[in-house]
Amino acid sequence: MALFSREPLKTRTTEDHEARARAWEEALDRQTLPAFVTERLQNAAIGRQPWVATMTPAELLLAKSHGVKPIATVSGTCWFHYGWSWTEGHEEGWHHALNRIKREAHAAGANAVVDVRMRTLRHSVGPSMDFTLIGTAIRVEGLPASPDPVVATVPALEFVRLLEMGIVPVGIAVGARYDWLGNVNGNGWGGSNGWSANSWGGQTTQWQTGLFAGNQPLTELGQFWEGIRRDAHAALRSNAATMGNGVLAHTHFGQILRREQDKQPPAYLGRHIVVGTVVDTPRGAGVPHDVEPVIDMRDGLSPLKRTGEVRHAVYDTDAQEQEGSI
Amino acid sequence: MADAHGQDIPEHALARLAGLRRAGHPDGIFTSDFSVNEFLLVRKAGFEPVGLCVGSCIYHLGFQFAAWGSNMELDVLSTAMYEARALAMERMRLEAAQMGADGIVGVRLTVKRLEWDTKVLEFVAIGTGVVHAKGHQGFKGPNGQPFTSALSGQDFWTLLAAGYRPLEMVMGSCVYHVARRGPIAALGSIGQNVELTNFSLALYEAREIAMERMQTEASQAGAEGVVGADLHEGSHNWSPHVIEFFAIGTAVLPIEGHEADDIPDPRLVLSVNS
Repeated sequence: MALFSREPLKTRTTEDHEARARAWEEALDRQTLPAFVTERLQNAAIGRQPWVATMTPAELLLAKSHGVKPIATVSGTCWFHYGWSWTEGHEEGWHHALNRIKREAHAAGANAVVDVRMRTLRHSVGPSMDFTLIGTAIRVEGLPASPDPVVATVPALEFVRLLEMGIVPVGIAVGARYDWLGNVNGNGWGGSNGWSANSWGGQTTQWQTGLFAGNQPLTELGQFWEGIRRDAHAALRSNAATMGNGVLAHTHFGQILRREQDKQPPAYLGRHIVVGTVVDTPRGAGVPHDVEPVIDMRDGLSPLKRTGEVRHAVYDTDAQEQEGSI
Repeated sequence: MADAHGQDIPEHALARLAGLRRAGHPDGIFTSDFSVNEFLLVRKAGFEPVGLCVGSCIYHLGFQFAAWGSNMELDVLSTAMYEARALAMERMRLEAAQMGADGIVGVRLTVKRLEWDTKVLEFVAIGTGVVHAKGHQGFKGPNGQPFTSALSGQDFWTLLAAGYRPLEMVMGSCVYHVARRGPIAALGSIGQNVELTNFSLALYEAREIAMERMQTEASQAGAEGVVGADLHEGSHNWSPHVIEFFAIGTAVLPIEGHEADDIPDPRLVLSVNS
């Protein structure tokens, strides 16, 4: 028996490599897919190539019993540079990635992408980030391929569990908002809900945080921050309304940064991002399951409590941006 | 003897508890790193653990030139990362074959950097060899070799219940150099919100290559599909512009004669634990 039965990898010629890079470039530019990707996805769809699923065997079993067929791993990536707005850059980055993962799912003839994870590499390439979504494209038996596959951030197990109850996870919604308080030099761009236009902005906060200021709520800063958060959530709602009628499992990320100014009270930059899973469900639909006691034979975190790990680790430690874009 | 609910404790267990039976086992002992649940479910699936199988490979990464300003695959490193893992896996499989195992469950692959040389990495594959309790020969992997699978004992039982058997772990590696020449400089404007297409396509291409390689392996193994597929991205302490995309999963094949009606009806449970 050979110790090493596997084929070593085929190295690619420089020409081949460059041709593929050009194909990618063209595809990103035209919002299509390179021919070799379309071919891989279509071959998986018709069974000429093995299907590939991020599912666990338990999910596979459930998928089989509920007529859900895995097709292939699909992904969407957008490496985005946020020169003038960190906040809007993040919003835009995720939207590009979403459109791209949908494009691949469509090429695979899918009805949905399940187990979608938001990912990013930890790198230090200037004020930029790669926005990546990865998941498994699936086909539901007896349904034609969808022209607009849904993007579900839940694992296959939960996807089926939700479907049984008439709840369809349909997509990811993002809402983002940033603003300045008392930035006299003007930031030159961007939306403002009147705070930065106010030349007295920041004055109250300076009194309230002064050396002799006693216990008190910071009214100005508090209102300013609340406005930003409210706007971000309003943006999330209007983004979600284009897809479904509910949002579950939010990821929040918010920051207030303080900037010292010459001969002026310090200015504050507030920014807030909310990301959530959009569902579409008739109101008042019942739950067909009874409650019964079971003993769960599983190690570690029970999937009954929560399936999988935290799925959006992107904003966990994302406080690297102290200066630069907003 | 039965407990309150009429569940019998087997005679052999009672005898052992009462101190009536000696501990000697003429047919040897098994070792495994199974948890209790895994052990029970592997048995439920009709298999017995034989022993822990380990394979390792200490590998020196060759020199690779990366053009500073261009996107390119670093094929020397791709080959190294792949070959070292494959060697570790083959050595583990050899151990399993020598034990007479039909396959290996719960394989974990790890990469360790060594203190004294950044170009030397240790790759370890470890899992538990199992054998079919009734000597059924239909569960072996490709070419009569033991199958390998990254699945836990629970997953193994579930996979068999779903009508599939594991063939072997399939993988694809692509180490890719992302161009350093910032497209930002070329923009002539730092203050823009704009996609860095050059970087986007580098990630796409690297991921695609890793996935294609994994898929090719699955095809060669004659698999119907790949379950538990995972894509890792890692830098292994190389420069931040050098990223490894590593795709790994367990290739599976339908069990002959298994009907869809044989699948147990799964019950969906809503947990009231928080």
